[in-house]
Amino acid sequence: MELVIALGMNGIVWGLIIALIALGLSIIFGLLDIINIAHGDFFMVGTVLAWFVLETTGNYWLAFFIVPVIGFAMGALIEYTVIQPIKNAAALSIVATFGLSIILQESVRGTFGAAPTRLVPPIETTVPLFGLEYEVYRLFAALVSIAAIVVFFGFLHRTKMGTWMRAVRFDPETATAMGIPARRVYIVTFAIGFAMAALGGVVAAPITTVDFQAGVDILPFCFMAVIIGGLGNLEGTVAAAVMLAFFEGIMASFFDPTIARIGSLCLMSIVLLIRPHGIFAGATR
Amino acid sequence: MTPAKVHRLGYVLFALFTLTAPWVLPLFVDGFWVDIYSEMLIWSLLAASVNLLFGYVGLLSFGQALFFGMGMYGVAIGVAKIGLGFWPAFGFGIFLATGMALVAGIFAVRLTWHYFAIITVVFSLIFYFTALSWKPLTGGDDGLSFSMPPMFTFGEDNEISLTDPTVQYYFIVTCVGLCYALMALVLRSPLGRALVTVKENDMRASLIGLNVYLIRLTAFVCAGFLAGVAGSLFAFFGRYASASYMFYHVSGEAVVWAIIGGVGTLLGPVVGATLLITLREELSHAWEHYLILVGVIVILVVVFAPKGLGGLWLALVNRLFGGTKAPPARAEDAPRATPKAGPGEEKP
Repeated sequence: MELVIALGMNGIVWGLIIALIALGLSIIFGLLDIINIAHGDFFMVGTVLAWFVLETTGNYWLAFFIVPVIGFAMGALIEYTVIQPIKNAAALSIVATFGLSIILQESVRGTFGAAPTRLVPPIETTVPLFGLEYEVYRLFAALVSIAAIVVFFGFLHRTKMGTWMRAVRFDPETATAMGIPARRVYIVTFAIGFAMAALGGVVAAPITTVDFQAGVDILPFCFMAVIIGGLGNLEGTVAAAVMLAFFEGIMASFFDPTIARIGSLCLMSIVLLIRPHGIFAGATR
Repeated sequence: MTPAKVHRLGYVLFALFTLTAPWVLPLFVDGFWVDIYSEMLIWSLLAASVNLLFGYVGLLSFGQALFFGMGMYGVAIGVAKIGLGFWPAFGFGIFLATGMALVAGIFAVRLTWHYFAIITVVFSLIFYFTALSWKPLTGGDDGLSFSMPPMFTFGEDNEISLTDPTVQYYFIVTCVGLCYALMALVLRSPLGRALVTVKENDMRASLIGLNVYLIRLTAFVCAGFLAGVAGSLFAFFGRYASASYMFYHVSGEAVVWAIIGGVGTLLGPVVGATLLITLREELSHAWEHYLILVGVIVILVVVFAPKGLGGLWLALVNRLFGGTKAPPARAEDAPRATPKAGPGEEKP
């Protein structure tokens, strides 16, 4: 029973981190119509940058501030150089971002190295929780993820740029006609997407390993969250990410982790076939 | 010369080169390029299966590695576990892949575009993880190797088998050639026209009485067949099957080959696969992180030649030999990009 609680808790924490990353994927998809194969690698770049900050400064907390800023800058640069030119051929976005993914992975393998590294969590204490000693860092990670998600929704609904983003997504032509700088909105959206994935990387780095292939493992999971939550339904993405990870955590306490992964993939294909617009379709609108 | 004649000349030159490669290639480059060339042909079939779906019916599949893997495991399990001979194992691999494509297709082609791309990834991941964890049957991460059974035996100890490199090369060329001929035949038939109709406008296709679902399913099964043949050939080629070839990165590579080569053209996938595998073989010795360059090339092609090298070639031929129809996609790009496309169009 304790194992079930522990893995279920881990699942919720992991789900919140995934939610943060998948939100970035979802806004990029919803606003730019780009299927971003490289999104997992944005996360991976975040973990590597976190490791780099820890190595150079010796202070992990700095990474929480520096890495999203670097991610934002990299995202803006990528949007400007790669995504903008293929805007009129969105079908090719999969191929272009596949190329991007190769470049990011190979650059990290060349600089950071091919061997996975573990980071020591900045908080190493544990607290008693539901009859087991739970790592404080995981609770902290969940808190940071929740805070970031709340800040993101606040940004989307309370600021001018957030309103512009929603407007451009709703109807790009009318929005442009009303004087909204659509190009700048696209750049900011992509950059925020990258920054959120990178922040997810900083939060997750001490829980998982820092590895140039980390993005490949996490990408299908993020896509599942986006699809099950419903394409473009941001609240649904968050809920689906937490539910999926919780489900997989519980499954993993009874079966082999690979079987748990197969189980959640099967669940996802059923959802896709029965409710292709997500399990929350119709509930919000 | 009319453009049609130029294309026909291109096909003839390509066929001649392929048929004489075991003698011609060693004159210019190292002998192992013959082996690599046959590997390219096998991989080009996987890219062709992506091309058939994306270029002709408009469905972008990111899961063709599943059928490749099915063909591969069909052969390897057939030989190593069931003890089948050469031809039954080959048939078993293709049968497994095509059957899998039928079952997966019944569900997958109900969806289109993004949803289709994602459900094909999901299906291939399910079987990737299954193959990874079902160690007794598939060998998991280590893979499953087998010894080559003979193709034909005469009398006591005369046998023809793929252990002879020349036999292996021509066996692969024959199979790949038959597949392309079959594909050309299907694309010229009424079914081929129906495929393109569905791609261009599925609503109109259904209004003129075409069964869109059935046409998409047929294309999906054909594509699964092509990928299955590629997988079976690859298993014979490497005497080996491994779960890692079922991962979605392999499917992604096939999509990249198809799009770089040019979707919607019969031989585009061959050009794409040939070019990128040549790059891999040449650059991987020179620079450990050559993949960065591959990524840059992929992005450049998508940005500057969205119709792929095949599209550039068509535009070039039309321009040089007075083709009046189908002007280049972007007139200003064609001349500038021509030098880059040249080496890709000539077979290396």
